[in-house]
Amino acid sequence: MFWGCKPVLKGAVLALAAAPAWADEPVMPRFAPQSSGITTAYMGEWQYMVGGGAAVFDCDGDTLPDVFIAGGEGPAGLYRNISSPGGDLRFAPVAGLDDTGVTGAYPLDIDGDGITDLAVLRVGENHLMRGLGGCRFEMANADWGFDGGDGWSTAFAATWEAGQHWPTLAVGNYINRKEEAFPWGSCTDNWLHRPLAKGFAPPVPLTPSYCALSMLFSDWSGAGTRDLRVSNDREYYKGGQEQLWHMEPTPRLWSENEGWKRLRIWGMGIASRDLDGDGFNELYLTSMADNKLQVLTPPDDRLLPQYTDQALKRGITAHRPFTGGDLRPSTAWHAQFEDVNNDGLADLFVVKGNVHAMPDFAAMDPNNLFLQRPDGSFVEAAEISGALSFKTGRGGAVADFNADGKLDLLVVNRWEPPEVWRNVSGGLGGFVTVSLRQTGANRDGIGAWIELRSDAGLQRREITVGGGHMSGQLVPWHFGIGPAKTAQVRVIWPDGQATNWIKAVSGEAVLVQR
Amino acid sequence: MQTHQSRRRFLQAGAAFVLATTAAPLPAFAAERRAEAVLAGWYRLLLELIRHTATYSPPVASRSFAYLGITVFEALATGNPALRSLSGQVRDLPPLPARDPAPHDEACVLQAALAHAMAAHFGNTGPTGQRAMAAMATQMADLAAADQPADVVARSRAHGVAVSDHILRWSAGDGGALIENMGFPETYTLTAGPAHWVPTSTIAVQQKPLLPHWGQNRPFAIPTEGPCGLPPPIDYSEDPASEFYAQAREVYDISQSLSAEQQVIARFWSDDPMLSPTPPGHWVAILLQIFARDATPVDRQAELLAMLGMGIADGFIQCWRSKYEHDLVRPVTYIRRVIDPNWEPLLITPPFPEYPSGHSTQTGAAAAVLEGLMGPNFAFDDATHEEDGLGVRSFSSFWQAAEEAALSRLYGGIHFRAANENGLTQGRCVAQHVLGLQTRA
Repeated sequence: MFWGCKPVLKGAVLALAAAPAWADEPVMPRFAPQSSGITTAYMGEWQYMVGGGAAVFDCDGDTLPDVFIAGGEGPAGLYRNISSPGGDLRFAPVAGLDDTGVTGAYPLDIDGDGITDLAVLRVGENHLMRGLGGCRFEMANADWGFDGGDGWSTAFAATWEAGQHWPTLAVGNYINRKEEAFPWGSCTDNWLHRPLAKGFAPPVPLTPSYCALSMLFSDWSGAGTRDLRVSNDREYYKGGQEQLWHMEPTPRLWSENEGWKRLRIWGMGIASRDLDGDGFNELYLTSMADNKLQVLTPPDDRLLPQYTDQALKRGITAHRPFTGGDLRPSTAWHAQFEDVNNDGLADLFVVKGNVHAMPDFAAMDPNNLFLQRPDGSFVEAAEISGALSFKTGRGGAVADFNADGKLDLLVVNRWEPPEVWRNVSGGLGGFVTVSLRQTGANRDGIGAWIELRSDAGLQRREITVGGGHMSGQLVPWHFGIGPAKTAQVRVIWPDGQATNWIKAVSGEAVLVQR
Repeated sequence: MQTHQSRRRFLQAGAAFVLATTAAPLPAFAAERRAEAVLAGWYRLLLELIRHTATYSPPVASRSFAYLGITVFEALATGNPALRSLSGQVRDLPPLPARDPAPHDEACVLQAALAHAMAAHFGNTGPTGQRAMAAMATQMADLAAADQPADVVARSRAHGVAVSDHILRWSAGDGGALIENMGFPETYTLTAGPAHWVPTSTIAVQQKPLLPHWGQNRPFAIPTEGPCGLPPPIDYSEDPASEFYAQAREVYDISQSLSAEQQVIARFWSDDPMLSPTPPGHWVAILLQIFARDATPVDRQAELLAMLGMGIADGFIQCWRSKYEHDLVRPVTYIRRVIDPNWEPLLITPPFPEYPSGHSTQTGAAAAVLEGLMGPNFAFDDATHEEDGLGVRSFSSFWQAAEEAALSRLYGGIHFRAANENGLTQGRCVAQHVLGLQTRA
């Protein structure tokens, strides 16, 4: 095993114009709305009330992340990132990925050829699109033996199980869309596609299924194995709850006898991050009127999947519009932890929007941007930072689109084109990005943990494919490091093997490979 | 009482009927059969919309069950001399619109009244509920009008809408029509002192208690200031020798050794809002199952739905008066404070004061109303939660079910015993006022 350091951000400028006050209140970022050139709106009525995702990945090899936007009833859209480094965010449409019926997508290198593929979730048959390079794709369902089904797919996650050269894919499915008068209780089965040779075996139903709107394979216990967390929409299930599947040869649910605690929410999205560096992920679960921050709090003697909700305590319930004037509750979808002000603390972006004409819920429901304080609490910053939006959001992404070391924002909206904000902050801290490469299977090290330590503390990040709300990313992984000039990085690969600590200089893009 | 693992799904009977009518020419049902089908279809949807509409906490659900039951009853009573209108009996209900002397079809009257009333009560439900109501309205309108003369259909529909509109205008002034923030007030001052309710959840809106003014709503049959109030709860004390401590200790001790059967009972009657048709809907579901089993005539169905609806609605009004009068702390708060800081009850503690138990009061009212109308030893099976995996339970009487429901709150760790037992007593008191109403001429 070896690792390498590849500084690619030669144009990046870290303008520390004025020494920020590294006090308890977070450094406030600044965002500027962009005329991005992305025009794909998430269209459609009832069958598209959920979904509306974005996939962010580099499809043309220029290191800038490109984007794919779900179009619902309308055509989806692939956009090449033509932004100048450090400049305004600009995208140009690319033909060839304009399916209709798309609800969301997740990028991953399925066949290990070094070119990122795309799992496209749809109302109808799901498509695995093989990347050909140059932002060209071809349908690979038949070649890979992938049964795309004919459901209403609304969640996705992928992992590489031990010893496997191909990934295991989990597809979450929603209600039976043919049920008109009584759709409640009609949740259709989620499917688990396990590898078989250079492709996939027939799917295994993950019964019972409860209308999943987000899924995530995660090593929640630090045991080195990854279980499947599923967040389900209680609006439609009967007898359901949140789920955690043991990923055994025959998957089985964690039961109450094993310590699983029943939770029933309008589960819509999962954001995951080890916020306190204790080795265990915190989970932010989006819902309606009430969002959860689950913190693992097992009993003293056993490591069980038992969580307490700290959203209220930490100020991130996001249960109604923070702008005031409307007491009605919020509807939250995509959520993502990222450090938007480079202070070494993960912040939280929450995309919101009314389902559609639900008068008991806020119609003008602004997205939230929560900045984390050193004490673990959060402060709302969407309006003051310039990222305020009242549009009907669904999916989203927090990513560095112009390679300036500052994370930008993208939101997919119902019936309106996506919104993009460029992070134009001055005076932010430094950053390091980390990319993973393996030879052979699981090229991008999905399932690995990246650890970074600096004066800002220890940060830990699990590399996953899944979660959010129908929105996935495969990009260099971003870490803010505050005023530190250097940081130490190491990787714990999915098989548990750990690298040595590597020195990284602020502003550097680190490639760790084996 | 027995538990069964499977049973035909009674609540799907309405849907099966609808599907059959859309797949083949409409049969010429007798008016009463068509009216029964209309009622079954809409009430099946009603239970779902109660579950899936965010404002429908149990008190709010009880209100809709009452007004919809009265709508059904009055729609038929205006054309059935054997039925006696509730106007002049229940509070402030003006005389209902009289029918045109020309012929009406009862199924069409009922369909129009229910479609109109449901649209009003659930105008705030989400897109799926709206879609379902539109589909139901179309299907039931076709079913009701099968082979009926056009002028009869039109006349009947107009009358059904007029009845519904009349009831809706009456209902608008009862104090419960507008629900904001899902029933949680923006401001509320907690009562000082350890004996009183404090928030028990981490959900932001639930840092205030649910519907603190619901007890001031206009009731249907009970007096505005009632004889159904309760004595104060046991005096608060943290002394291990005190009666209050003892009742909390009972909740705690039971929770430490819950049998499988006790857990089943707790969850069977949990009836959480947004996850079930709520406690009022549980009793309506029981009644619908009995209708399906016994082929109950539609006029009797209407009478029973109206009386049950008023019983549970007045039960909640009376209970909420007592809850906010006494404002007692919940077991989870006391037990964590005094006995075990890490204690977790089996059920989710509802976000409002403890005494008396709302489920127990409305269950006592429901059971006593049904017992008064159908007899003391009326056996039935209850498959309300079969689709949720909670099986079927059998009861030899309504009151046996009520006692189990009340006890379930102790097993669930959300009420002290006194709240359950006194809640049942309060419900019986409420029921006596409802049973004083005359529904037969």
